[in-house]
Amino acid sequence: MMNFEIDFFVEAMLDRAPLYIIEHFQLVLIPLAIALVIAYPAGVLLTRPKFSRYTEKVMSIFNAGQTIPPLAVIAVFFPFLGLGYGPAVVALSIYALLPIARNTLAGISSVPYEIREAARGMGMTEWQIFKEVEMPLSFPVVMSGIKTSAVLTAGTAALAALVGGRGMGAVIFAGINFFRMELILAGTLYIGIIALVMDRLLSFLENLLTPIHMK
Amino acid sequence: MIELKNVRKIYPGTTLPAVDEVSLFIEKGKVCIFVGPSGCGKTTILKMLNRLIEPTTGRIFINGDNIMDVDPDQLRRGIGYVIQQIGLLPHRTIEQNVEIVPRLLKWPEDRIKKRVVELLEIVGLDPKETAWKYPYQLSGGQMQRAGVARALASDPPIMLMDEPFGAVDPIIREHLQDEFLKLQQEVKKTICFVTHDINEALKMGDYLVVLESGKIVQKGSPLEVLSSPANDFVRRLLGDDRGVKLLDLTRIESLMIGEKSLPHNSEKCRCFIDVVKPVKMALEIMMKNNTDIVGVRRGEEVIGTLSWAEIKQHISKLSGDQ
Repeated sequence: MMNFEIDFFVEAMLDRAPLYIIEHFQLVLIPLAIALVIAYPAGVLLTRPKFSRYTEKVMSIFNAGQTIPPLAVIAVFFPFLGLGYGPAVVALSIYALLPIARNTLAGISSVPYEIREAARGMGMTEWQIFKEVEMPLSFPVVMSGIKTSAVLTAGTAALAALVGGRGMGAVIFAGINFFRMELILAGTLYIGIIALVMDRLLSFLENLLTPIHMK
Repeated sequence: MIELKNVRKIYPGTTLPAVDEVSLFIEKGKVCIFVGPSGCGKTTILKMLNRLIEPTTGRIFINGDNIMDVDPDQLRRGIGYVIQQIGLLPHRTIEQNVEIVPRLLKWPEDRIKKRVVELLEIVGLDPKETAWKYPYQLSGGQMQRAGVARALASDPPIMLMDEPFGAVDPIIREHLQDEFLKLQQEVKKTICFVTHDINEALKMGDYLVVLESGKIVQKGSPLEVLSSPANDFVRRLLGDDRGVKLLDLTRIESLMIGEKSLPHNSEKCRCFIDVVKPVKMALEIMMKNNTDIVGVRRGEEVIGTLSWAEIKQHISKLSGDQ
């Protein structure tokens, strides 16, 4: 049985865990940015007629990425990339890919055919159709994919500590190693808060960028 | 002027051509209506004119240029395009929607702004009321007007319209059709118009092209098609009330008994009608007033009469084969 001392819990909440907040945010934001840079263009390309026949294959690869437990992803990359921050970021990026790619694909496919047809009929180039029609119309769906990814990454980033990637996971694993419930609880709470903050932050950004009538 | 030479379209994976050896000449400033049941190839023909679909064989010329030699985006910017679903961009205001083609053509800002106001007035939308609204804030009829304004934006000489009034209710549709005809009197565009509604076709067209399974079965003016349908298919398409429809297209001028017979007849007339009105109107007046003769006026002057017997004779002569 672990014991629970309220004084130590307060100390963990106020003094120990906060030291890892910035690190943990980095472990969410950097993989999220990398995933976005890869998954968004991939999702868009998959909606083009030229590549649509690869859609299923690529999506199944993305899906596979999601079914592998994050721990396993980290374990798989560990022999190649070794311990530390880098491998943790790589593993988390792979993990963040799918929701973004899937929602990009769904968002762009959901743009009504007649709107695209009208745009083409007016003489918009493919690029103009993407930029002025598909991108703004798919934005809310893509954004919800990014949010899903962010919240997911905030949680899985705790495992980064296992390969020396630090972050809030370090607090939790310290708690496990030293049988200190206070640390586990403090780390878990902060991860929850970070996930919430990410979600609110992205929602705010979404509101800022969505035209009034689409809200 | 638009010319199609032996145009044929076979969609990949099918053997039957959607459009089969269609040759056609459409004069400048005329409304040409493609009419026929679903799947007859009318929309395919329309979309081949702005290269949204490319013909399998055959050639299409617009003002003498083969359209396959023109950049498709440039070609489309010079052709107005209206579709049934309208396709207004939902995230843009009406003003921004109407501006699209002028912007693609890189018009100066002040010219674009002036043009938008002008266009919204032309199609009967109040610029102050509607310019800043989003499409979802408009009624179906208003959206369709905005769609027409957008297609007219760069003043293209050619307009393609694919069942443009198909999605609005019958009352609004009739109203939009009347306005469209009035507008066409002013702008004199070359218009290719697709519909499955034969009444709309007869009303709007200078020229009808009747299609069945990708082939032209008949082309000609509404009067020609109505008075001498090429085959049973056209006859069925026109419906059993062909004779009455004909009366809607025949002007009183062509039937009335001229001035010679005036003195002895005009005393009997209790009601009068203008000479440019369709015969159907005269019939309506006869029924309302329970009489079988109406006086015909040009302006204020009475110039002749039209009787029920003459109308009957006309119908039986023109549609003797019915």
